[in-house]
Amino acid sequence: MSAAVAGLVLAGWVGWRIWGGYRVPARGKALARRELGALAAIADALFPGELLPRSGSEAGIPAYVDRLVAASAPRQRMLMRLLFFLIEHGTLLFPAPGGLRGLRRCSAQPLAARAAWLEGWRTSALFPRRLAFTSLRAIVTLGYFADPAVLRRLALEPFAIETPVCDADLLYPRIGAPRASIALGPADRTPPSDGTPLVAAPHPERT
Amino acid sequence: MSGSAPDLRVFADYSCDFSDEADVVVVGSGPGGAVAARELAARGRRVVLIEEGPPFTPADYSLDGGLAMARTLREGGLRATTGTVMPTMQAKALGGGSLINSAICVKAPEFVLERWCSDYELTHTTRADLDPHYDAVGAYLGISPVPEDVQGRRNLLFRDGCGALGYASEPISRNVRGCRGSGECFTGCRSRAKQSMDITYVPDALARGASVLTSARVDEVLTSGRRAVGVRGRIVAPFTGRASFAFEVRARCVVLAAGCMASPVLLHASGGLANGSGQVGRNLQFHPGVAVMGLFPDPVDPRFGATQGYQSQHFLREGFKLETLWAPPAVLAVRLPGSGRSLEQRLLGLRHAAVWDAITSCHRSLGRVVPRRGRGDPVLRWRLHPGDIPVLKEALYRLAEIFFAAGAVSILPGVHGLAEEMHSLDEARALLRVDLRPGDLVLGGNHAFCTTRMHGDPERGVVDEWGRCHDLDNLYIADTGVFPRCPSVNPMWTAMALAHRTAHAIADRI
Repeated sequence: MSAAVAGLVLAGWVGWRIWGGYRVPARGKALARRELGALAAIADALFPGELLPRSGSEAGIPAYVDRLVAASAPRQRMLMRLLFFLIEHGTLLFPAPGGLRGLRRCSAQPLAARAAWLEGWRTSALFPRRLAFTSLRAIVTLGYFADPAVLRRLALEPFAIETPVCDADLLYPRIGAPRASIALGPADRTPPSDGTPLVAAPHPERT
Repeated sequence: MSGSAPDLRVFADYSCDFSDEADVVVVGSGPGGAVAARELAARGRRVVLIEEGPPFTPADYSLDGGLAMARTLREGGLRATTGTVMPTMQAKALGGGSLINSAICVKAPEFVLERWCSDYELTHTTRADLDPHYDAVGAYLGISPVPEDVQGRRNLLFRDGCGALGYASEPISRNVRGCRGSGECFTGCRSRAKQSMDITYVPDALARGASVLTSARVDEVLTSGRRAVGVRGRIVAPFTGRASFAFEVRARCVVLAAGCMASPVLLHASGGLANGSGQVGRNLQFHPGVAVMGLFPDPVDPRFGATQGYQSQHFLREGFKLETLWAPPAVLAVRLPGSGRSLEQRLLGLRHAAVWDAITSCHRSLGRVVPRRGRGDPVLRWRLHPGDIPVLKEALYRLAEIFFAAGAVSILPGVHGLAEEMHSLDEARALLRVDLRPGDLVLGGNHAFCTTRMHGDPERGVVDEWGRCHDLDNLYIADTGVFPRCPSVNPMWTAMALAHRTAHAIADRI
């Protein structure tokens, strides 16, 4: 009887740990609420928005990663989701500071403790741990840089470029469309790029 | 030239199983396959060029590094070697790697080709033998050095640093016409300046009567005795890879140009084809790359400038080539240390940053392409040999040296176990002294070679000097897999020159 109760308690704890308490309204295209919640917590630990205009979650990192995972092949999708799970519950392998509280999942740690704990992954002596973190950080950083406001603040926004129409553009439709959809004809061709250097708009800090 | 409408098929155009016939079927539309297809079509041969990926229009490009990688690269850009973990990128798009590389064109040095000839029993692969083919490709694509006005400061600082130290350096030659310095080579050139295969050789092949099948995955080379008689495969949806209609193309000659990873897998999947030597999939070599970020007191404004504008071949014989580098900013930011406020501080410093890299000739570090069961992506087994680590350390140190000579205030070497930021060359000497393990380095391996290597001895190589498989009369390979050894410089021009030679050899035979 007591074993059954203990089993139920354990199952309840495991269930709560994996699924419970995430304040995310809805699942994404590819990611569950718990994964979006974990990503938001990681994103805010890496990019708190103290010096830059947006925090990680404000920059839409969870939604971005959801789109990226959805656009990936099944095997890569599975690997990425495993990675998110590993980091979120990595406190069981590498507890955060704070005694028993350090065993709570990553997203349940206070912001400062979470950031310090993630930094431990980055600088770990264990190569697989560093590798896992680098992979996660790469994905999250891609999401942060997808925010135009962040790029503007860093003076790294893309140039405005008028793309010339070349012969090849009369051959290829947009991906997914049939060739019959090509609207361009020979009269639409434009002169090729003349090599005029692009001029950067002045950076806000310098004006 | 043919006056009829170009015979190009995209995913949405297929509606049923089909078959076709040709003089030559070419598998893969990257630099090797596109050159071969165009040259053969120009010699009046009926060519079918097959590409697994779709054609990308500028409207399909994404400036977002993650999405661009997920859409244009095999395994969504997550492909990596096992053993020593190293990311490696192979494209899946019409034009292959030329769509998303930085267009660097360097002829293989004479000393490299001499070594190829002496060590691999080759007699017609000296620089003098290859020069006519290099020149034909070079003239066609307008290969020329990056003009100074689109170099941008991050490239010119490299020149200045090399000059201060007395190291030879030069503007990089590229297959580019009218570069505007957007630094967007890796996500697709919106200026249409990069002369990638999809806007040069492939349209030209079409105009000369070739058929081009895109979103078509070849699963098997068909044979009869010692002859290849065609290929068989499936139409696959862009990005998801979901297979649909079957196709078969019968031909008098088959050219595999699917790339150093995919060509050996295809040979294995075709019943262990062309593998009398046992070398198919073996001898995998890379140019493992390392990079250093330098920070300068004044803004560098690194977003402007040719993606890779300057290089130094000064240390080529020591085993490394140095280059400037730019990539989607998010990709470069991944290597920045710190998190939270300190990371944001670093990000704000990116305006003052330049990134330079080294590609290294790690001849002792060998690997193997191993097919997975079914039709999955292959396993890439590769291990960095401890004997090659000193080359990487030396390359990192030289980059540090050039940075400080150019006026950098600090560098971020990205080596585990060392200071994350170094403020002087004295500090950077730790790069030479430290005992490094492979996992301490952040490596990238985008040039891959040798998995179907050429060798004069059929017992020790897969193809001969003209790319013809020793075991079959009419099966050719025209990608970097045929290199017998890594070329020490960027391989695209050499791959195209060899493909040019292979195409002319085929045209002379059929």
